[in-house]
Order: sequence, then C-alpha cells, then structure tokens
Amino acid sequence: METNIIPRKGGFNFDNYKRNLFLEQKGLTLPKVTKTGTTIVGALFKDGVVLGADTRATGGSIVQDKDIIKISYIAPNIYCCGAGTAADTLFTTALISSQLELHRLTTGRQSRFNSAETMLKQLLFRHQGHIGAALILGGYDINGPVLAHIYPHGSSEHHPYITMGSGSLAAVSVLETRWTKNLERQDAIDMVKDAVEAGIFNDLGSGSNVNLVVIEKNKTESLREYSKPTPHHPKNCDYKYKRGTTAILKESIKDLVVVTDGEAMDIS
Amino acid sequence: MPLKPGELDLGTTIIAAEFKDGVVMGADTRATMGSYISTRNANKITQLHEKIHLCRSGSSSDTQAISDIVKYYLQLYSIVNEEPTTLTAAELMRELNYNNKEVLSAAFIVAGWDKHSGGNVYILPLGGTLHKAPFAITGSGSTYIYGYCDSLYRKNMEKEEALNFLKNALALAMSRDGSSGGSIRMAVITEEGVERLYIHNKDIPEYNDLEN
Amino acid sequence: MSSIGTGYDISVSTYSPDGRVFQVEYASKAVDNSGTAIGLRVNEGVVLAVEKLVHSKLLVPRSNRRIQTVDTHIGVATAGLLADSRHIINRVREEAQSFRDIYKYQVPGKTIADRVGQYVQAYTLYSSVRPFGSSAIIGIVDNGGPHLYMVEPSGVYWDYFGCAVGKGKQAAKTEIEKLKLSEMSILDAVKDAARIIYAVHDNAKDKEFELELSWITKESGKHQFVPKEIAEEAEGLAKESLNQEEMKDD
Repeated sequence: METNIIPRKGGFNFDNYKRNLFLEQKGLTLPKVTKTGTTIVGALFKDGVVLGADTRATGGSIVQDKDIIKISYIAPNIYCCGAGTAADTLFTTALISSQLELHRLTTGRQSRFNSAETMLKQLLFRHQGHIGAALILGGYDINGPVLAHIYPHGSSEHHPYITMGSGSLAAVSVLETRWTKNLERQDAIDMVKDAVEAGIFNDLGSGSNVNLVVIEKNKTESLREYSKPTPHHPKNCDYKYKRGTTAILKESIKDLVVVTDGEAMDIS
Repeated sequence: MPLKPGELDLGTTIIAAEFKDGVVMGADTRATMGSYISTRNANKITQLHEKIHLCRSGSSSDTQAISDIVKYYLQLYSIVNEEPTTLTAAELMRELNYNNKEVLSAAFIVAGWDKHSGGNVYILPLGGTLHKAPFAITGSGSTYIYGYCDSLYRKNMEKEEALNFLKNALALAMSRDGSSGGSIRMAVITEEGVERLYIHNKDIPEYNDLEN
Repeated sequence: MSSIGTGYDISVSTYSPDGRVFQVEYASKAVDNSGTAIGLRVNEGVVLAVEKLVHSKLLVPRSNRRIQTVDTHIGVATAGLLADSRHIINRVREEAQSFRDIYKYQVPGKTIADRVGQYVQAYTLYSSVRPFGSSAIIGIVDNGGPHLYMVEPSGVYWDYFGCAVGKGKQAAKTEIEKLKLSEMSILDAVKDAARIIYAVHDNAKDKEFELELSWITKESGKHQFVPKEIAEEAEGLAKESLNQEEMKDD
C-alpha cells in the first residue's frame, strides 16, 4: 500500500504547527502569548551607538508588566533590543549571549558584532520565523560602532539608525528628521529618548519608561529609567486610619525570658 | 513558495549586464513587509567572493541564508583549490536553490569577473535552473522593463554606457513598481576590482530626462 | 636494514625506534620492481610513457594498460602492483567525477593530486590496511596549463617537470635531466620518452615489453594515446638510437 509518509532527512519537524493551524480552523482557540507591543530604537553617533526601548509588556489588551527590560546583554560590548514575543526575544538573546561568553573564554578575545549577528540570524532562520524575535543589535568592536536589525525569519541589515516594534511608525519620524552623521553623544541620547517617547505616547502597545544603553569604545553605560514620561499622579485621598482612631482598652506586657547576671562565655 | 506571514520581502528590481571590461550590477534599495516599507536603504548587492557578487530578490531571509552559505563554500574552495570562477559560484547557488525549491522563495543574478572567462552574468530563477545571459533582470519590477532592456542592451558597451543603461532601466522599473524604490545601488566588477556606486533617491532620473 | 626482524616492520601503525614506517618503505620496493614509467612536462603538454613488461606470449597485445584516461584532460601512468594501480586509478576517476558534479568544470591538477595524495596517505595510518604498492604519475592540462604530478606509496606528491619510477628510474632520471624540457616541442618529448624507455630496458632480465605512449596536448586539452604513426616513428627512432649505442659499446 502506498503511504503519504515521507521519511525526513533531518532538520526540524513542523507537523504540530500544521496540526495547530488545522485545529484553529476547526474553532479551537490557542492560548495567547505575551507580546512586547514595543518601541525599540537604535542609532549610531560620532563614536558609539545608543539603544533605547520602552518598558511595557502586553498580553492582548492587558498590560502584563509596566517595567520590563527589553534591552538584553549579549556581551560587554554588544547589547540587543527585542520586539515581538517576549519569551522568544529573551531566550534567543540569552542563548547567544551564553555561547559568546564561552567563546570569549576559549579565545580570550572580545566578542565580534558579526559573530553575534550571524549566530542570531542563523538560529532564527533555522526556525523559519516560528521564533518571534525582532531584534536591534548594537555594539562596538574592532570595526567600530555597528547597528543592525534582525527579523524573525532571519534576515539582517546594517543601518545607521533603526526602529522596530509596533511603535516604530511613530519613532521613525523622529529619527528621519533628527538623525545626521556624527551626532554628539548627548544629542544621540536625546534623539533616541524622544523617538521611544513618540512610541510610548502614540502607540497603545508601548508605554511606561525609557531605558537606554550607550555603547562606546571600551565603555558601556546602562541608563535605566532614563526618562519616566508617564509618572503616577499622587492619590488625591488617603484612606489610611490615623493613629489613635481605635481606643486602647487594656495593656498587658509579659516578660517571657528571665535575664540573670553571670560570667561571660569563654570565646577565646 | 509564497512568503510566510510577516516575512521581509525584497519586492525588487535587480539587473546585471556584461560590458567591455567585465560586469555591471544594479538594484533598488526598497524592502517591504506587505504595504509597509521596512527599509528604504537596503543592500541587495552582496559579495560572494572578491570579484563575484550577486543581486538578491524574493525573501530577504532566504536569500541571505543562501548567499551566506555559498560565501562560506567559496572561502573554503579558494583555500583548498584555486580562485573560484563565476560559474562555480553560480552552480553552487543553483544546487542549493534546486534542492530546497519547495521551501525557498529566492531568485538571484550572479555576476563576476574571473581570469578564465572574463565578465559573466548568470541568472537563477525560482525553480532551481541556471542560465547564462549577456544581461539579466528579475524581481517584481523587472516585468516593466523587459522591452526597454531588450531594445537598448548592446554587447561590449563602455563602462559609462553600461552604468547609464542600468540606471535608466532601474529608474523606469522603480517608477512603475510599488515594491521597488528608494535609491539605486550599483557595482562594477572588472579585472582591476570592484567599484560600488550609490545614486541617492533625489538624483534618480525622471522618465522624460533619462540620460543616454 | 638493521631493524628487520625486530617486529617493527609488520604494521604501519608502529614506528621503528629510529622513526621509520617500514611497511611504507617495502611498498616503495614493490614499485621499484616494476617496469619503468616516466612523465615529461613541456610547454605544449605532457607526455607519459611506460615500459610494460610482458610476462607471457599468451597475453593479448595492448591488454592490461598501465596508462589510463581518468578524465578528458587527465592521464595516469602507474608503476608497481597492477591491482593496486587500478584501484588508485579508480579513485582518481571518482574524485575527478565528483569535482565535476559539484563545480561543473574540469578538476585542476593541484586539486586532483592533493585528493589522491590524501587517499593514499590514509593507507599508511591503520594496522588493518596495507599501503599501496604503486606510484601514480598524473599528467594533466588544466586552466593553468600542463602539469605533472607523481603520488608515491607514502602519499607524498610533487609537481614535476619530469619524473620516473620503476626499475629503471635512476637511469631514466639521468636521461631526463639532460633534456631541455622548457624548449622542447611535444613531438620531440614523445621521441625522447620512447628513447628513454628503450634505453633503460634491461634485455638481460626482462625480455619482452610493450611501450605505452600517451600525451595531453595543450592544443586539444585531451588525454590520448599517441597516434599510431607518431608512436611508431618514435619507437623506430628509439630502437635505432639503442642500436647506435650498442655499436658504440662494441
């Protein structure tokens, strides 16, 4: 009898994916993953690179986390902003970061930007877009400052300024008007901050604070909560009872331990 | 194979042509995701070896993955054997393209110069075939300029003539095709080496003042 | 050899105390017992010539070729155990074919010599195998012009202007060194190759032999046996020069 089963030569098996698609068509609702409806930004300046991100994580229309960190450590000289599925961005960057650390220990050399980029894109390509990680990779190595974006399907490009995520349409307008060659460090930081804020204010998927990382030659600075554009307003009323609201009717204090004098313990 | 959801598309116009001293290659710089221009300054001309380059069209990730693999093959090849020819590079591309045709959406133009056969252009369309051609165009925008290219291409053009031919053809395609646009990147490959050129969006000729 | 019989000559996976692998050296001895094979490289191409000793009158003439074509542009002349030689030639064919399949053009000399060298060398590493009792002279015309390589039982190979193996290799090499290979036409190279094979043939020990002559001309880029008329002329001249030598001796 002829069968439709074709033996696989190797690689991954996407049968379950096809099954799930089928079940979805039949009306089954699959659980929702936490997406980082996001604004992430990166820009090159005179002698370095700035990465920026908002801090909101969403699941459907619910804000799951108001202060999530979306800029991951890859190597001391390389950081990475993640948009897309939160778990996927966090785990891919952690995996590659770990491999690069081992590589540094065996070679005794600084990690190369290209290594990180190639390892990330090859991992993502292998999984054919099923790992939902959209990344902005920034770093400084022997070739100077570099910035690249990597899409979930595994393509990558180098650009002087980049934005990704649902807030990118708002952020890109800031970058397109303000980015120039050889920006000063502070100007670049301000521009990236404003670009992320554009996402925070105009995109529902983005919100809360702005985190920044500035990477320069032999120096990486992490600027957590560089901007808090949406502060919590102090509550107008105080619902706590004042001290003494409840009357004291009786007071009783008991000594549970008997303290006696004696010789000090020999601790020599 | 159609693009997967959310996949970056190089809805593209790419072109390469032999001329007197070698080959010229050209591409627009637009990358799209559906109707969104994800990049207005992409680089679709990729180096495979010193004097062998290719133009990419189709899925950005598929074409990058394939060219990265062949780049690695050729690096190894040049150490073990000798300088690879453009044909060798094109054949390796073809092999990958053919063996994985069910899962790839990728078309290429491979062009280069080698000391055995001079400047050569090869085109690799979707199914995994390989054709040698004096000039080649492909990508979504190419359909608009077949007639233009057929009528104006001549063998043994001078470098400036060839570059103008490319620039005008690309300009026409980019003006008609919504998936092509941005700026123009070009590369000239001769015995002397590789020269890369960039024509900014604002300097692209309009239809009624094409330079000849 | 002082160490014979001390046990170090049994296996290729054991060195002798003075750092030799006797089995590989014995394999070279097997090659030295064979009829002479030579190769000449000139500007116009490569010439291969073999003194194929004929052990019996019952053998069909021109059977058991010791020069064979392995690809359109490659010829291999061998010396040593014929069975081993045929195995090596088969391998050269496979390598040449596999290169063609992948890269779609004729394998370059450097590459084919290296691959055969690697293969032969692998047979000097394991106690379960015996090194090849055969040396292969590879003549080739590739994009870089004519080349001549010789792969020995140890796996080493060199790029030669002229080379010789087998019984008469010393005498043959002396003769080859006298030639001005860089100025010679390929027709002259054929004549000299034939002459050298006849000159080094030892009539006292081996009576009958057949001369195998092949070439790869740069013009055709193909490995072929030298056309009958040219080969016969060369053979005639070779016999003539042999007679003259003998007369001089007398």
